[in-house]
Amino acid sequence: MSGIVGAVEERRVIKININGREYEFEIGVDIQPGTTLFELLRSRVGLRSVRDACLGDGSCGACTVLVDGDPVLSCMMLAADCHNRKVETVEGIAREGHPLIDAFAKNYAYQCGYEAPAFIVTAKALLDKNPNPSEEEIVEALSGIISRAGVYPAVISAVEDAAEALRKRGVS
Amino acid sequence: MSGVRALRSFKLVNAGSVDEAARILAEGNAWPLAGGTDIIHLLRFRVLPDGMYPDVLVNLKTISPSLEYINYQDGVLRIGALTKLSAISRDAAVKERFAALAAAAGSVGSPQIRNVATVGGDIAQFPRGWYFRKPDNRFHCLRKGGDTCYARTGDNRYHSIFGEINGCVAVNMSDVAPALVALDAEIVTNKRTIRAEDFWDVRVPRSTVLEQDEVMLEIRIPAPPRGARSSFEKFAVRKAIDFPIVNGAALIGDGLARIVLNAVYPVPYRARKAEEILRGRTDAINEELAEEAADAAVSGAVPLAYNGWKVQVARSIVKRLILPGTRR
Ligand SMILES: Cc1cc2nc3c(=O)[nH]c(=O)nc-3n(C[C@H](O)[C@H](O)[C@H](O)COP(=O)(O)OP(=O)(O)OC[C@H]3O[C@@H](n4cnc5c(N)ncnc54)[C@H](O)[C@@H]3O)c2cc1C
Ligand code: FES
Repeated sequence: MSGIVGAVEERRVIKININGREYEFEIGVDIQPGTTLFELLRSRVGLRSVRDACLGDGSCGACTVLVDGDPVLSCMMLAADCHNRKVETVEGIAREGHPLIDAFAKNYAYQCGYEAPAFIVTAKALLDKNPNPSEEEIVEALSGIISRAGVYPAVISAVEDAAEALRKRGVS
Repeated sequence: MSGVRALRSFKLVNAGSVDEAARILAEGNAWPLAGGTDIIHLLRFRVLPDGMYPDVLVNLKTISPSLEYINYQDGVLRIGALTKLSAISRDAAVKERFAALAAAAGSVGSPQIRNVATVGGDIAQFPRGWYFRKPDNRFHCLRKGGDTCYARTGDNRYHSIFGEINGCVAVNMSDVAPALVALDAEIVTNKRTIRAEDFWDVRVPRSTVLEQDEVMLEIRIPAPPRGARSSFEKFAVRKAIDFPIVNGAALIGDGLARIVLNAVYPVPYRARKAEEILRGRTDAINEELAEEAADAAVSGAVPLAYNGWKVQVARSIVKRLILPGTRR
């Protein structure tokens, strides 16, 4: 066992780009090996759009964020696994002035809004890869997020509106 | 405040090579770490008894050369054990020639889970039975070194319909597993090559035959014969974020039939009697033959008190695998 302990007690610095800003966390000092991305974003960085509705069971999707452009569950990911990667939350997407934010508001794509950040980041990842998704593709992309209020139809309209706004922007 | 519990603590080692990973695993109470989605669940909810948790997690994602790849060449598909399920479900060669695997990988959990979960982790996942998974080791069941399988007398609506193994009636919930058995895959480790059929077991607390210092490296699958078609079917309450109630995969055609059900037995279940009925008759498949094979597939069923309904579900899955497009 001594060999293992020697190897792991070596401190390691995790560098993560969060919403365009570079952060460094030292394992054993700022975070633990078992700190999840969820805890890191909420408690260390203060990004309160990252939420849970299933106590971290992996089954609600409310904690979704983008890692290197792909939607992942921050509750099911170790912060240490995000070393040298790019993390985006809805705060960053809003700051960019992404049309999804307006489109969600105009379509009333939420009741309480608890899972709206998860829908928005996931839709952003979809639109980055597929600027003109079909309804079926939108439903599939967003299928990992549960809305207790059942706002799904409004969410689909919002994503379609944002896609159109992005295409118009691209043209002008 | 958020109610998400912190994980039980552990030490994390980034392995640089397979040999290094194996060496650390052999030294003590250490587990391989792939995507981490199953391990995080166990550590967060304190599913296991004290003494059964790892002191160390050995991160396999830092191994070089990387174990994340898909490569189809000379009639053999090779998938690195750390390949994400999302990549497998989208790969053109997998979709074209190994349709059952693409569909199975694409049906796991949700897009977010598939972006992180690996194929090796899916087939090695720990039991999912609700007694096993109840937080804080509420039910110290057989699979955790206890002396009772609570599901035998308790609520067993989702449990085995083909009996027990080593006293346990919790089912194997992997979606990928039946596809690998149907396609006659091999799992290559740092120690040996294991046929998919022989890969699962009922142990404390694991579900595979892997040894303490054994690392899966690659899944290898021969291309099916030209005339054969592979398919996957899954029955779950919801389309997304839901484990199978019953799933199944088949490779049928060219006189050949391999039909495998999962979530019906503690390890993937080969429906051999159904295979026998179809063998040599795959050119003559019709409704009648499919019915006969589906009946045969569940003829050995010994349902528990609350899961007789699953026999019907399993029968329908087999029929759908044989006759694509059937709704019963
Ligand atoms: C909400 C939710 C829904 C889910 N739904 C489904 C579903 O519908 N169908 C389904 O099949 N699964 C489902 N799962 C389970 C999921 O597929 C697994 O958690 C995942 O595949 C595990 O992969 P991982 O890479 O994250 O594994 P990890 O958590 O890293 O590892 C899991 C186990 O495999 C071992 N392991 C991993 N890689 C190797 C290797 N290369 N060599 C040796 N040992 C290894 C680990 O030591 C550990 O014991 C679901 C999970 C969640 C949280
Ligand atoms: S908190 Fe529910 S999926 Fe992460």
